[in-house]
Amino acid sequence: MTGTERRQQVRALWHDRPRRPFWRRSMLALLALILWSLWTGGFVGTDVLSERRLASVARFVSELTPYPLRESGVSVSGWLAWAGDLWAQRGQTAALSTLSISVVAIILAAGLGALLTLGATRTLATAEPYLPSGRRVPGTVCRAWRLLVFATRMVLALLRAIPEYVWVFVLIGVLGPTPWAAILALALHNGGILGRLNAEVIEDLEPERLAALRATGAGRLQIAGWGVAPLALPRLLLFFFYRWESCVREATVLGLLGIVSIGFWIQDARARQQPDTMLFFILVGALLVVLGDLLSALARRWVRDGR
Amino acid sequence: MSGGWVGTANRLPGARAGVILLILTAGSGAAAYLRLELRDLLPTEAGLSLMREFFAAALTPAVRYQAEGVPPGTMPLLIKVLSAAVATVRFAVAAVTLSMLIGIPLGTFASESFWRATAEEGRANARIRRAVSRALYLAARVAIAILRSVHELLWAVLLLAALGFTPMAAVVAIGVPYGAMLAKIFSEILDEAPQGASRALRAGGAGRLQIFCFGLVPLALADLVAYALYRFECAVRSSAVLGFFGFPTLGYYLVAAFENLHYGEVWTYLYALFGVVLFFDWWSGRLRRSLAT
Repeated sequence: MTGTERRQQVRALWHDRPRRPFWRRSMLALLALILWSLWTGGFVGTDVLSERRLASVARFVSELTPYPLRESGVSVSGWLAWAGDLWAQRGQTAALSTLSISVVAIILAAGLGALLTLGATRTLATAEPYLPSGRRVPGTVCRAWRLLVFATRMVLALLRAIPEYVWVFVLIGVLGPTPWAAILALALHNGGILGRLNAEVIEDLEPERLAALRATGAGRLQIAGWGVAPLALPRLLLFFFYRWESCVREATVLGLLGIVSIGFWIQDARARQQPDTMLFFILVGALLVVLGDLLSALARRWVRDGR
Repeated sequence: MSGGWVGTANRLPGARAGVILLILTAGSGAAAYLRLELRDLLPTEAGLSLMREFFAAALTPAVRYQAEGVPPGTMPLLIKVLSAAVATVRFAVAAVTLSMLIGIPLGTFASESFWRATAEEGRANARIRRAVSRALYLAARVAIAILRSVHELLWAVLLLAALGFTPMAAVVAIGVPYGAMLAKIFSEILDEAPQGASRALRAGGAGRLQIFCFGLVPLALADLVAYALYRFECAVRSSAVLGFFGFPTLGYYLVAAFENLHYGEVWTYLYALFGVVLFFDWWSGRLRRSLAT
């Protein structure tokens, strides 16, 4: 093969390369969006490094030293004693409350999700699940089932789309600042997510075994309870633990809006301008999140691999 | 979903009741600790009427201000909603840009296949090189775990206290945890990409960066972009919520409208948020499909 031939071949390959006009235009649009937002947003500017800002950062950093130690000098034992006191007074209760809120919330979310899953699964919410009996099904019945699926999926979408924080705002208005407000907010949002994930898992199940169940005369709910549930349970548990992880994360923060979790004490320290206490509770929250991630990863691995 | 799951389904039955019992025990323990009572779930009369009004307003979002006597010259409500939505997108775009700047290098360092691709044998100081790369890999993993464990709203609290009120605080607050999240997922995507191409390149004598850039990244690109766009959607929601701290995004106006009991306006802002999220959902879905073919 001569040089020219090779060049021609390369050119032909280049000419026939797969092209994706939508991709290319999207990337250009994204680039434009980025430049526009940086240009007009005032995020980057000389203001960032102004003397006033640097002074404010320096003051903040100096105030991160626990208050009682600022005079006496910092020592590890003094720091530990300060943190231990704070933990015993408020930290312990706040951490346990946060964890409790997340556990109750994810259980309620799973219940809500399971209930809505029944209506949102196309293979279950249909006139003839898994095994057509050969009888003629009236058109109105088919349409009614389709409407049920559509309506349930809309409800799920709405539950998911409203952020937890907005739910909490409404629920605090309705119930007052009880733990229930945070629990229900997390349960509603995560119920929407779990409902959709569950429905997808169930629609992907192999139909043969469930058809066999129907052939024995099982009804729709019996198939759901004694066929679908055992088959899909491992996957559903994976999602359950995966969402619990995020519940722990959000439960820490929801306290910012006035419910007794770690976030409440962060907000409290912020209002009193005590950066030392604020940092302590933020770190407690971070530890809790790491703990939640770890437990959830262990539980998921156990469900997945049996160890 | 098929083969492997059948095995799991058969392996789990003995433990199934145990898991569910454990979860329910933890749940009742937690409920007892919080002293939850079903009685407290019954809303008060005022709460009930608030709930009725709030959800009734879902069907009739406001198109003009619900307050009486809006001073003349105030911009119309819909323009205000639009500008809040634009501000929300602007914060989200800046934050995701920052998170990519953090996430791409950090994710590269945290992926095993990057170090495998760059490990060169037979070079001088091979052992030192290996030790350094191991240390960088571990450092990246630890950095990801630390940055990710603090929620974006808590980053906002910290940065606002340190820097004072500046738009940059909001961008960094979202950008840092999102960057760590991107890094985690990026490293997983890179490690799960098929390794055949990079093996072939190595056999052909390609250098370390060549293997990484041409043997690994193109294979993982579709997943990387799809995930980045999904995070974009989340960033829009986060940037809206950051309005609670006073940034001029949708959350700021939403809370103000809620506190003034103008529920119609609240729903207008909520629908604007849905609209933006749905738009990016559509965009990322379309992009993913265009890459799949």
